Amino acid sequence: MTYKIPMGPYHPGLEEPYKLDMICEGETIVDTEINIGFNFRNIEHLAETRNYVQVIALMERVCGICSFIHTLTLCQAMEKVDGHNPPPRARYIRTIMGELERLHSHVLWAGIACKLIGFKTMFMTCFALREKVMDILQAISGNRVNYSMNCVGGVNRDIEDPAAILKMVEVLEAEMAHTIIPVLTTSSTARSRCAGVGVLTKEQALASAVVGPTARASGVAQDIRKAAPYAAYDELDFDVPVQEAGDVRARLLVRALEIMESCKILRQALAKLPPGEIIDGDGKFNFLKPASEIGTSRVEAPRGEVFYSVTWQERMRNPKRLHVRTPSYVNIPAVRWMMLGNRLADAPLIQASVDPCYSCTDR
Amino acid sequence: MTIIANLPEAEWTEKGGALWMSCAGKSVREVAKAMIDVGARFITITAHELPEQKGFRLEYHWDLDGRVLGFTFETSGSSVESIYDLCPAVDWIEREVFEGFAIEFTGRDYKPLQLRSGETPGVNLREEVAR
Repeated sequence: MTYKIPMGPYHPGLEEPYKLDMICEGETIVDTEINIGFNFRNIEHLAETRNYVQVIALMERVCGICSFIHTLTLCQAMEKVDGHNPPPRARYIRTIMGELERLHSHVLWAGIACKLIGFKTMFMTCFALREKVMDILQAISGNRVNYSMNCVGGVNRDIEDPAAILKMVEVLEAEMAHTIIPVLTTSSTARSRCAGVGVLTKEQALASAVVGPTARASGVAQDIRKAAPYAAYDELDFDVPVQEAGDVRARLLVRALEIMESCKILRQALAKLPPGEIIDGDGKFNFLKPASEIGTSRVEAPRGEVFYSVTWQERMRNPKRLHVRTPSYVNIPAVRWMMLGNRLADAPLIQASVDPCYSCTDR
Repeated sequence: MTIIANLPEAEWTEKGGALWMSCAGKSVREVAKAMIDVGARFITITAHELPEQKGFRLEYHWDLDGRVLGFTFETSGSSVESIYDLCPAVDWIEREVFEGFAIEFTGRDYKPLQLRSGETPGVNLREEVAR
């Protein structure tokens, strides 16, 4: 006999709304229905009514965690439409901001994972460390959530003292290496709760087209920073961690290793930050004579590939169409496969292991 | 690239960061199958409403070895063949396009995705957006 256990839509393990209906036989999950849309704002349709300056501020609000990444992807797509080419210093600043955002997102996720594992002291440690990343983001941009850093052709703010930021990154890296990384990679508690749980095989990962750490934890070595480099990634040396097991522990390990790779990228980018302008031209979108009627762009966000498509229309100050495909939008459906055959008690951790963002998914 | 060899009759154009394929005379399922056969990863579908209510244009985006590949299909009506059975990854976006543009993907069942009960499909076609 099967029965249905609902989880959500209010705060299903995370402070965002969505709903899982788990079909169980005893304690074992035999199927899962995923329900989204509780935060649906139809932001794409709204974007068609905003001009090319306003639309940057609007799309920054798609997500509260990777707000910088959204405007970066959008501005890159718009630069392909109007032909702007950001100067080298702007490309490095974009890389630095992108990696800081990855750091704070991964540390936030690690804290939530620790809470769901039952490791609440570590949850507090992760959030204390995340604050230090937020301090650096605030030192650069003046903001903690919506940074307003990107514009068409470059960035709005310079990094005036890279040596000071580098010092903060070094302190952060040492603390990560001594606290979070050993817990995530060697702790027996983390291992016993995560190993062999919520497996997504490589075949399932390919069929469901998952992206980011979720794909890399299932043996799919795909990272837009390497496959289609943007900003300054083609001038920096870093590795893409890949795990084969496809379980929650593999997703944990991939993110832990990515934290260290992000620190490595940050050190290089801050040391090599080239002099010069931070913006190409006046930062205004040329909607009169575009180089292309359509622009597409992809960026490797903390949760995986973000895709933007911007379509220009003649004699109009607003885009004809703007479409965004977020990583959670393709990662969350794979939770159904991850749940299959697992214990009901592991469901909160399994669904959280893809680092779902419902705000991104619903848009 | 292999996809170009697999579809020799198609014309390819580089535009706005993607390699676009013109696939006149091919069905959406034929082109999608060719993409899957060469190992391309599905990214998304972007729907456009054509002017003067002439129908819709659907842009299918795929990734192959770090390149964005695109192909477009225009439909004068409000239905197009689904590729869900070929590529399970299209499930949510086909449902979203249906709810946003009232374009029906034939050959599959639907469950509501973003819209709550009482809402009717076609929310992206509404004019009364807040300004």
